[in-house]
Amino acid sequence: MGNNLTMKHSILLKTQSIASLFWLLTILGPAFGQVNQRPAMPAVPQQTVSGYIKDARNGEGLIGVSVYVKETGTGAVTNNYGYYAVSLPAGTYTLIISFVGYTKQAKAIALTGQNLKLNLELAEEKFDLQEVVVKATREEDNVKSIEMSVNRMDVKTIRRIPALLGEVDVIRSIQLLPGVTSVGEGATGFNVRGGSIDQNLVLLDEAPVYNSSHLFGFFSVFNPDAVKDVKLIKGGIPALYGGRISSILDVRMKEGNAKKPELTGGVGLIFSRLAYERPLFKNKDGVARGSFIVAGRRSYADVLAQPFLRGDLKGSQFYFYDLTAKINYRINDNNTVYASGYLGRDLFGADFGFDWGNTTATARWNHVFNSKLFLNTTAFYSNYDYLLDSDLKRKPENKGDYFRWKSRIVNYSIKPDFTWFRNNNTITFGGQSILYDFQPGEATAASAGVVRSFGLKSKYALENALYVGNEQQLSKRWQLQYGLRYSFYQYIGPGEAFTFSADTPPGQRRDLTGVKTYTGRDVIQTYGNWEPRFAAKYELSDLSSLKFSYNRLAQYTHLISNTTASIPLDVWSPSTNNIKPQLADQVAGGYFRNFGKSGTEFEASVEVYYKWLQNQIDYIDGANLLLNPLLEGDLLSGPGRAYGAEFFIKKNSGPLHGWISYTLAKTERQVTGINSNEWYPTRFDKRHTLNTVFLYDPLRSSGQPSRWSFSATFVIASGTPATFPTNRFEYDGFVVPQNADALRNNYRIPAYHRLDFAATLQGSRRPGRRNQDSWVFSVYNAYGRRNPFSVFFRQSPDFTTLSAGSNPVTPTAEYQQQPTTQAVRYSIFATIIPSVTYNFKF
Amino acid sequence: MKNSILVGFRPFTLSLLISVAFFSCETVIDADLDTGPAQLSVDGTVTDQPGPQVIRLTQTAAYFSSAKPPVASGATVSVTDDAGKIYAFTDPDNDGYYIWQPPTTGDTLGRIGRTYKLAVKWNGDDYSATSVLNRVPTVDSIVFRNERLTPVSQRFGYQAEYYARDPAGATDYSRIRFYRNDTLQNSTSQIILAYDGAFRGGANTDGLMFIRPIRQAANPDSLYRMNDRVRIDIQSVTEEYFDFMGQVNTQINNSGLFAQPPANVPTNVVNANPKGRKATGFFVVSAIRSRTAQVIKENIRAK
Repeated sequence: MGNNLTMKHSILLKTQSIASLFWLLTILGPAFGQVNQRPAMPAVPQQTVSGYIKDARNGEGLIGVSVYVKETGTGAVTNNYGYYAVSLPAGTYTLIISFVGYTKQAKAIALTGQNLKLNLELAEEKFDLQEVVVKATREEDNVKSIEMSVNRMDVKTIRRIPALLGEVDVIRSIQLLPGVTSVGEGATGFNVRGGSIDQNLVLLDEAPVYNSSHLFGFFSVFNPDAVKDVKLIKGGIPALYGGRISSILDVRMKEGNAKKPELTGGVGLIFSRLAYERPLFKNKDGVARGSFIVAGRRSYADVLAQPFLRGDLKGSQFYFYDLTAKINYRINDNNTVYASGYLGRDLFGADFGFDWGNTTATARWNHVFNSKLFLNTTAFYSNYDYLLDSDLKRKPENKGDYFRWKSRIVNYSIKPDFTWFRNNNTITFGGQSILYDFQPGEATAASAGVVRSFGLKSKYALENALYVGNEQQLSKRWQLQYGLRYSFYQYIGPGEAFTFSADTPPGQRRDLTGVKTYTGRDVIQTYGNWEPRFAAKYELSDLSSLKFSYNRLAQYTHLISNTTASIPLDVWSPSTNNIKPQLADQVAGGYFRNFGKSGTEFEASVEVYYKWLQNQIDYIDGANLLLNPLLEGDLLSGPGRAYGAEFFIKKNSGPLHGWISYTLAKTERQVTGINSNEWYPTRFDKRHTLNTVFLYDPLRSSGQPSRWSFSATFVIASGTPATFPTNRFEYDGFVVPQNADALRNNYRIPAYHRLDFAATLQGSRRPGRRNQDSWVFSVYNAYGRRNPFSVFFRQSPDFTTLSAGSNPVTPTAEYQQQPTTQAVRYSIFATIIPSVTYNFKF
Repeated sequence: MKNSILVGFRPFTLSLLISVAFFSCETVIDADLDTGPAQLSVDGTVTDQPGPQVIRLTQTAAYFSSAKPPVASGATVSVTDDAGKIYAFTDPDNDGYYIWQPPTTGDTLGRIGRTYKLAVKWNGDDYSATSVLNRVPTVDSIVFRNERLTPVSQRFGYQAEYYARDPAGATDYSRIRFYRNDTLQNSTSQIILAYDGAFRGGANTDGLMFIRPIRQAANPDSLYRMNDRVRIDIQSVTEEYFDFMGQVNTQINNSGLFAQPPANVPTNVVNANPKGRKATGFFVVSAIRSRTAQVIKENIRAK
């Protein structure tokens, strides 16, 4: 990056121009809070109790642990690094520290005019079900937390869900939660509340992952052995986050066991997995100052198949792998540094083939200024690239004849995030600066020894954002979260800006009217958006609450994809002078209620939402999206809307637990030039979705848990919309489908339903045996339904046209044989898929 | 256009992978479709080759109709070149095939560089379409190699590779057709289009030898057998036709995970009355260069 100076300059300029906003909010927020404080919260000198909360088994920081002050009814939640802080007047208090799956702790503290540092470790709950019944965990958060439209899944639960081919999968698992769907089995990515797949910010340790799938859409790129926490935010998105308009999938990697070395792994049908973690920098007392984890997965079908491959398939490559590593080092009580990285690739091909993958690297520094002010600074690099090659093996005889095609998207970013714990306010503020480098495509062709290259020019963009937010406990019942984000985007040179004819009939390719060339870091186009965020919670009682949220989000990157399932060749484009940023406004409201034994046996919620979307991209018929410098002339855009209701009930305790979710939803778009300019449903619109997950942990007669545990999932969803033809005509012996009114998505394919089972057998635990192992048996699509992915139309494949006259290029009277047509249901995973996986831990 | 690239590569591995890895299956089902009003459909390719020229006019029909398409009979059809010469096409037997007979044997209609306008008067509407007859490269040679039918097959056949060089200068669009023992190979997977002898969206291949995936595309699935006669035609087309045929290719092979939204293919046939019923199909004028070779020892090359 030779243009750092220019970049910094523009960041600085913007910083100054909105610095006033910052000050206003940081000052106003708490002030507002104080005015509204209850009399019980006098503005007397306060002390702060703060510290880190970690897992007693492996020293991992725990995210989202509730620290509740019994006497005042206030509290805090640990941040993404396990840090918390609570301010209180002098006195003696009892802190209740609780977290789902961990034994609750009560800690008496005395504040005598000095700040108190309190680091704690929570022990995982022993798998003793008699205790489970009486446990009080953070499940009451369903009601108590201000968060709404948030799906959190711990890795333990994800591991229990019956998995396709036995491969535990983060993204397939979150699709069992309300509001999350996909266009079909095997499709890359996921759709949240009617948004398209590029509208999800998928973060792995804060670095964005542009393609979250292996093998098209088969498996997600996250190695479950290295994942600590998965959180999907669908609404009420805090000001901290921005850059995508539908959801944030925040995946946090494990830090590595800080207590003892550990080796985990497994062998499944697709992947073999291995992870190693251990403490680092142990001092004399045996306390580690750091730890690391390295985890890898590789598919091994090719290794097994290689001896059987003959002929031209010999040496062919079809495998995918990923490698995840993370290290942390605690410099002192106030400074901790982390470095993490991910590398994943997919290679497929014998001769012609693909090679694609993501690389991310993140460095972070946690700094505690004082007990109330916490800073995390993240710097990351993210790269997604693909290669299409006519000869993946690079055979010497093809040296003079090949075809290669490359594309990539690279991000560099720095992002300071402050957390300021101030009385009953948790103030967050910070910013982010991202430099984008899009290389939409570069082709090289060699023919008979002559090599030619052709590349689309790189596109550069700079996205800056500043935000401030506050989470405020107004009273015991009222809690607010509000904030403002300002995103400022520049499409910058060097590059070319195109202008297109404005009077082309809508739906047709627009003609180029001008090209302007920019050199250096000239600004081609600027966009700025204020993004207000607001959320409120009112507790009706200890067991029920009402929540409301509004957010506006802006997005400056766009996935250019015109296929049902996104393919690895799809390119991303920045917002340009022709492509406007995507905007979403969402309001959501919900009722949350806990009930049953100990008040938290069941948790339930009903949420409704409505989203207004702007500048949604669609495509002219026959759009040319690949390596087309004038791509923007083939794009259309228009507004979208999505609304729905989500019902969720979960049973937290007892041998039989699990959840049921039902979503009623609709998502539509209106684009001039498509569907006679009328609203039409998007390809991923599903009216009804019902997901059920049952987990069963039987007890032995002795009251001890059985070595067996079981799970089952059942899903049923409406069919997705599809465009069916009305007519046909013949051209050159081919039957060409025709839709007389050029309607889009005028039919629906049949409904989708599927039942899966899994059973886990834990290895016997003998005294003195340190290692643990387990077998997982699963059946996917238990009754072998041929669920439709799509319905398409074609002429019968057994038909061949006959023509051989004196002038055969022209149709002749010999076209007498009539091609017939058929509708075809295309199904994926259209059979019962059993699997077995072996997992171990040393 | 993605499909055209993938089709060009005969990506056997990819389709194998997807079908195996995804346990995918295709089932023919019943579908109940609405039918729209009938439209005129033009299937017209006029060439620079000697002999009669044919333009077929039909009407669109219900998608699942298994009958012959309804004929658009009784139309007045003519082609006019930019020198003002008019060629009349007639259909005395009312079968929808409108034919121009050369006045003398060996006379040709098309001339490279000329522009031709089709005029159709039918059912009270005036339709027209225009096309330019572009230059065309020659097929320099055809050779064969003994190859497996697919990378995993135990069976072998002779794979044809023809050589042609893209003319330097302006972008040349062409369609390649091939014949096995005088039978046109014209299944839905055998539409071969070339943009400067390569794929559109590829590198700048102006003036180069056609790239290998295009040179090797003119093969039936079973490849050729010893003594087969193989004919390769390169047909010059217009940019509009290249787009049209590319979209026909996409729409008639639009299946699987990466299907595109079904959409109507474009047409260059315009109704003079903007409120009148629109037409479908295409009119193109082409120059054709051919070469025929036999699968015999002299034409077989080592791998």
